[in-house]
Amino acid sequence: MTIIDRFKKSTVGKSIVRNPDRKTPRDRAAGHWSNFFLHIYPVKVPKREIGFRYSWYLGVASAVLFGSLIASGIYLMFFYVPSPAQAYTDIQTIQTDVAFGQYVRNVHRWSAHLMVIAVAAHMARVFYRGAYKSPKEFNWVIGVVLLVLTLLLSFTGYLLPWDQLAYWAITVGTSMAGYVPYIGDTVQEILVGGTTVSSSTLIRFYVLHVAVLPAAVVLTLAVHLWRWRKDSMLTSEGSPDE
Amino acid sequence: MSDQQPVTIGSGDPKVIKGQRVLGVVPGKPAAGEEKRPADDEMAMVWPHLLVRHAVAALAVLLLVLVLAVLFDAPLKEIANPTVTPNPEKAPWYFVALQELLAHFHPLVAGVLVPGAIIIGLVALPYIDRTAFHDPKYRKVAVYTFTAFMVLWIVLTIIGFAFRGPNWAWVWPWEEWHGEL
Repeated sequence: MTIIDRFKKSTVGKSIVRNPDRKTPRDRAAGHWSNFFLHIYPVKVPKREIGFRYSWYLGVASAVLFGSLIASGIYLMFFYVPSPAQAYTDIQTIQTDVAFGQYVRNVHRWSAHLMVIAVAAHMARVFYRGAYKSPKEFNWVIGVVLLVLTLLLSFTGYLLPWDQLAYWAITVGTSMAGYVPYIGDTVQEILVGGTTVSSSTLIRFYVLHVAVLPAAVVLTLAVHLWRWRKDSMLTSEGSPDE
Repeated sequence: MSDQQPVTIGSGDPKVIKGQRVLGVVPGKPAAGEEKRPADDEMAMVWPHLLVRHAVAALAVLLLVLVLAVLFDAPLKEIANPTVTPNPEKAPWYFVALQELLAHFHPLVAGVLVPGAIIIGLVALPYIDRTAFHDPKYRKVAVYTFTAFMVLWIVLTIIGFAFRGPNWAWVWPWEEWHGEL
């Protein structure tokens, strides 16, 4: 008996870990249901859906990259002030003086690019497999929302280093909003916080980037996964247990 | 091989396929060609069968990020300067296809109608394609349309990202590099 098993058998251990030992499929299912972190998963999925060839694991990859972005992004937030006077020098300080600063910034940058690719590829894979078909139509729509949110997250983050690359990419990007008839100029002005990219743009993009959009992604992703789980269970209907 | 016509050589000879020779005949199932596919209603427990695969996929993704982050530093140019416009000014790579369209079409088309149509088209897709078929070979129209647009988009992105230089003029990326990540 390992020390973990002995702990699980103790009074305190039993109060924390409530699932039975996973000996039979029934125990496994019970253990699955009593685990908070596993509640986003169905208990069972069709066997042909678990291999690489079915999904290429692109949804998982997107979620993992999002997690990597949250972890590295929180670390960067400790050392970054979103003002034109400080933003650029803060990035320089992160790269030269902060422990693992350059590495964490690199992780954040490459994870962001990879996430755009992973989300787009996930969508393409879902298309070719026909997985948007009834009853999953609306989950595809939620996926489109997640794609747009991913692009917006990436775009708002692009401005934050406040270097020439950031400044002019955002100038080009936001000018596209100005082409919308009638409301374009207003939309652009709200987005940029004025007529040109300035300190008000920086603080707007920062708040969107670290609070509004991540919260929106977490909420939307929760609905996306919840519907996925429900639909997986639908297909399992009528299959024999154990 | 089995769909090739056997060619009979002489009379009474065994049937031989042209260009092939028979080394031996063994009883039982064919050695290759039979694929193991689980039945549609065959289920697998998520714990551990799916979780272990997801864990491996997650580690592979994180390894890729780690390797990229160790090998390549994130770019940082000079401090933002509203008075100095770089030439070319490029949008982030995922919007560069739109920027490329902007060079050829009216801004209303490239900047508003096309992105709007893409989003609306994607949202509407499951409500337009109502057939019950999942397999791509029974969904030729949907598959070809989607593929055509996807390839077009990727090509535009590559052109805008790597093949455009000062004043959005054509450049060869191996001669002048203007791509920015």
